[in-house]
Amino acid sequence: MTTFDEEMMTRALREAADDFPISEGAVERILDEARDAATSNDSPRIRAFIQRTGRVQSTLLGAAACVVVLAVAVPLFNAEGATTHPNALRVAHLSPAPIGEKTVNVHSPAFAIAGTGFQNTSGQLALTGSTISGIVTNGTSSQSVKAASLDGSLRVEEVGAIHLTVGDKLFQSTLTRLTDFATTDGGFVASTQSHMGTKASHSYSTGSIVLQVPEHNFTMLVDQVRHAGLATSVVTSAADVTGQYVDLQARISALKVSRAQYLAIMTRTNSIGGILSVQEQLNSIQSQIEQLQGQLNLLNSETTYATLTVSLSEAGHPVITPTHHARGIDKAWHESLHGFAAGVEWLIRIAGPLLFALLLLAALLLFGRLTWRATERRRGGIG
Amino acid sequence: VSDAVDVDELRTWLEDGYSSSVRTAYLILGNRPDAEDAVQESFLRAWKFRDSLATGSSFKPWLYRVVVNTCNSKLRKEIPHRNRRRPDDDLDEVAMEEDPIGRVTLSHDVMSALKDLPAHLRIVVVLRYYVDLSEHDIALVIGRQPGTVKSRLNEARRRLALHPALQSEAPDPTSNTFRKERQS
Repeated sequence: MTTFDEEMMTRALREAADDFPISEGAVERILDEARDAATSNDSPRIRAFIQRTGRVQSTLLGAAACVVVLAVAVPLFNAEGATTHPNALRVAHLSPAPIGEKTVNVHSPAFAIAGTGFQNTSGQLALTGSTISGIVTNGTSSQSVKAASLDGSLRVEEVGAIHLTVGDKLFQSTLTRLTDFATTDGGFVASTQSHMGTKASHSYSTGSIVLQVPEHNFTMLVDQVRHAGLATSVVTSAADVTGQYVDLQARISALKVSRAQYLAIMTRTNSIGGILSVQEQLNSIQSQIEQLQGQLNLLNSETTYATLTVSLSEAGHPVITPTHHARGIDKAWHESLHGFAAGVEWLIRIAGPLLFALLLLAALLLFGRLTWRATERRRGGIG
Repeated sequence: VSDAVDVDELRTWLEDGYSSSVRTAYLILGNRPDAEDAVQESFLRAWKFRDSLATGSSFKPWLYRVVVNTCNSKLRKEIPHRNRRRPDDDLDEVAMEEDPIGRVTLSHDVMSALKDLPAHLRIVVVLRYYVDLSEHDIALVIGRQPGTVKSRLNEARRRLALHPALQSEAPDPTSNTFRKERQS
């Protein structure tokens, strides 16, 4: 058991501190210094001596929180909002009578996009890295993008897919029209597949046709095909394969040089063993050249001709766009489940950034507190 | 004219509070030269920034805050990097020549225990038991919440009660009113 005597402490402190004399002249020295200091124009920079109400700290806290939230939220929303597919894929699901305006911004360093030119649809293209930029409106200006893409020996591989719904008894005639489109545009029909349905068997006609047209006519073909029936979905993609193309060319050139050198060596070789050895190397090089040349030819073909796959179905065919037509409680139940799943998904998605934001906020608060205290000390303590 | 008036104001401050401030600083810092140096610096600084004293605020805690913070600064920056103080300036070198009733011995023991306290605890003890400030005013002086002051005071009391220099101290029968017991 120990005791602490407050009165004893007070008495002892007073006896210890009150006994010694104060230096003479100290007050006058301070006053002299004060008079000197009065002539200088140092402006006070120390805050008022008032008890902190927490308002300043709250403001700083709020500002820090806003900064952190913005720092996390903006990139997050940008990442979610931007459609930066690796193949610069653009998908459009069209209503039967598309109206309004749609603008798509795509930033892709390696791929180019050709506008599809939907009716009543305008798309803005901004390609930062492939030196292609342009505005596509109603499919007419897409040609300028194409022209730009071909400048400078750019190689662009374009593919597309369109799903058409055609009216009753129009299936066959539409197939014929699609074939005409391809041949008129300088292309050809790569393949076709169809199934003819009859009313008697209660089945619908379905089929698909693959059209290939010169790359510069691709947009026009897409536009023509879209109007051949009711386009329920249009997907087009374009990939810039210039780098791959140039790389293949360079490798082939290098191998050809090597082949020429080996041929020169062979002319100077007299021994059978030497000739066989050089021949072996030549065979290997030749094989590589042919392999690369094949790839180059394929790439050349793919970039020369664009491919459009058109799938056709008669109106009423149920596989076009599967939609849930439930009503009443069933519909509400499904929507409820969907909402719950979406909520859980959202929570999981936001948990990571939120945790990061909290950690960042904690670090900022710690840093701010340390800085604040260091500043207080540096200022010498007023306020 | 304004400066002259202000200097007169400073003179009033000094006459009212210089001595007690030096003694307070002495208890915190442990030696007189440092204490006088800190208080002179504090008064000049306080006078220079006298406009920062908000209307309606209490002057005494404000001035002590300046003094305490200057002492803190010295404890952090100057004194640890300096050679040992002169022995006659140390707290535990209080003169003991005339001590008929043992009061200097008591003072010596308390000072010795006080010197062993960390600075942040020593400051609250000095402000509470020497300057006689309330916990609320001490909170203003050191820029912490009253709860922190209370906690520090409790910790300081606990340490002082356990200090060897105060263990042998005979209980003072006249101090029943303010006696507190602490379980070790």
